[in-house]
Amino acid sequence: MVESLTLGELAVTVALLAGLGLVSSRFGLSAIPAYLLAGILLGPHDPTLFSLIEPSELTAFLADLGVVFLLFFLGLEFTLERVLRSGRHVGAGGSIDLALNGALGLLVGLAAFGPSFEALVLGAAVYVSSSAVAIKGLIDFRRLADDETDLVLAILVFEDLAIALVLGVTATSGGSLAPTLLLVAKALAFIGISLAASRWLARPLDRVLDLLPRETFLLVTFALVVGMAAVAEAAGLSEAIGALMAGVLLAETSVRTDIEERFFSLRDLFGALFFFVFGLHIDLAALDDVGWLLALAVAVSVGGKLVTGLAAGRVGGFTRRQGVNAGAALVARGEFTIILAELLARNPGIADATAQRFAAFAGLYVLATAVIGVVLMKESRRLGRLLFPQRPRLDAG
Amino acid sequence: MPFELRETRLPGVGVKWTATTAHGSRLTVIQHADGTRELYVFERRRDEEPAAVVQLEDDEARQLGAILGGAYERPKIVEELEMAFGELAIEWVPVPDGSPAVGRTLADCAFRARTGITIIAILREPEPVAGAQPTDVIEAGDTLVTVGKLGQYPAFRRLLAQGPFGNGDAGADAP
Repeated sequence: MVESLTLGELAVTVALLAGLGLVSSRFGLSAIPAYLLAGILLGPHDPTLFSLIEPSELTAFLADLGVVFLLFFLGLEFTLERVLRSGRHVGAGGSIDLALNGALGLLVGLAAFGPSFEALVLGAAVYVSSSAVAIKGLIDFRRLADDETDLVLAILVFEDLAIALVLGVTATSGGSLAPTLLLVAKALAFIGISLAASRWLARPLDRVLDLLPRETFLLVTFALVVGMAAVAEAAGLSEAIGALMAGVLLAETSVRTDIEERFFSLRDLFGALFFFVFGLHIDLAALDDVGWLLALAVAVSVGGKLVTGLAAGRVGGFTRRQGVNAGAALVARGEFTIILAELLARNPGIADATAQRFAAFAGLYVLATAVIGVVLMKESRRLGRLLFPQRPRLDAG
Repeated sequence: MPFELRETRLPGVGVKWTATTAHGSRLTVIQHADGTRELYVFERRRDEEPAAVVQLEDDEARQLGAILGGAYERPKIVEELEMAFGELAIEWVPVPDGSPAVGRTLADCAFRARTGITIIAILREPEPVAGAQPTDVIEAGDTLVTVGKLGQYPAFRRLLAQGPFGNGDAGADAP
């Protein structure tokens, strides 16, 4: 096995990612499925026709940086104010979504792994929708002006919060109940401390960062992000949650937009490489093994999200057709499903075979739901008229 | 009458404002976090599909805002325009017929010293005066673009319509 990545290979890889990203964007898809596909094609497993890149320590490191940046950016968006101001739908809509799709996900997890920690993580991976795919679709299909879009975005905020907790424990816990509970407590404490710090530390941090010259600013921020990831890792949590909380910490500072501008390109580059490297590990031959599971999961989760849209829409005072629109926007799974699979693969308590199976499932599941989700989103109005043919009364909603 | 504006946060996207016009159309403006705006136009309030979606860069959006606000050209029917920002206002004030200010320089009139209102430009055909100077002379038919506090305008209008302005003023019989 070649233990390195040559510059030539890297160039081919990144060029391919750009090309596929462009193609998928033309079809209204987010680039995430395209990057995964590129990884599957160029990786060492089936199909082997184009096998060019071997996973190595270097690709793993690139993927690591990808996770760190993806979560750092998520954290930057994540202020207490944002959660509080994201509207009346967060609580009700988010809870319905969690209850329904969390339960369905857990069912899929149990069917796949039996009662175990990995079943729980699979439940979370099936539960969580893709903010990236949903938001891109809402913009591309011109749905931002719709009232039900508020509901979709509120539910996504709730999911982000819920999944942050799972991310914290995925890479390390498992085994018996007591250490897992301890880890959950640790993750909660870590999140709590970071949120509190973002309130009290934001000002002094702001003053320091504001004084720094350009290059130093970049380096100090980078050090803070990677440093918090390392602290989380040392505390027995996953580095993902550390990066997330670094984002939360900086979200309240005035330099936030500066940071976003400066790190945007890094996130896009390493994010793309992360999804690509994840694709490298996917073996399509595993389809025989996870095929039935995949079919079950896709059917269950498409239905689950559509019903979520209808139920949450009903509670929120939307029409049924609006509910269908909201549900369709939530169908696609993406970044979090992949990140969960990646973190689980690093968990020393999980057998390699299990992690492999999980990764193959997660990759293919994201590919399938992302494509189905985008098609459903595009056609959701027609679907709504089909399902609920009577004209809504003019005085309704 | 101003329409009712509904503001909603769109987490992960930006801010959304929705309004229904007097003629029954629905307008939605999305301000993205990166500063670009999107304008959704629905011909009727309950339309599902927008008739048009216009994407604007930040500078384009502000320019459009100024046009809609009447900064480029005053709509014929509107006598006086007003844009208020809290206490501060920008007003377009036409010089009334027979105003004693006609034929005088801005320095002569001393509007700022006497009322607190500053003349920033003079709109006239064919060429408006963009940064008005103290030596600029007010002509019949001018519209003065002014900046000041809302409370200072009544005194300003009185002065503009009736004077008195300095030495040998024919209109000095006003109170």
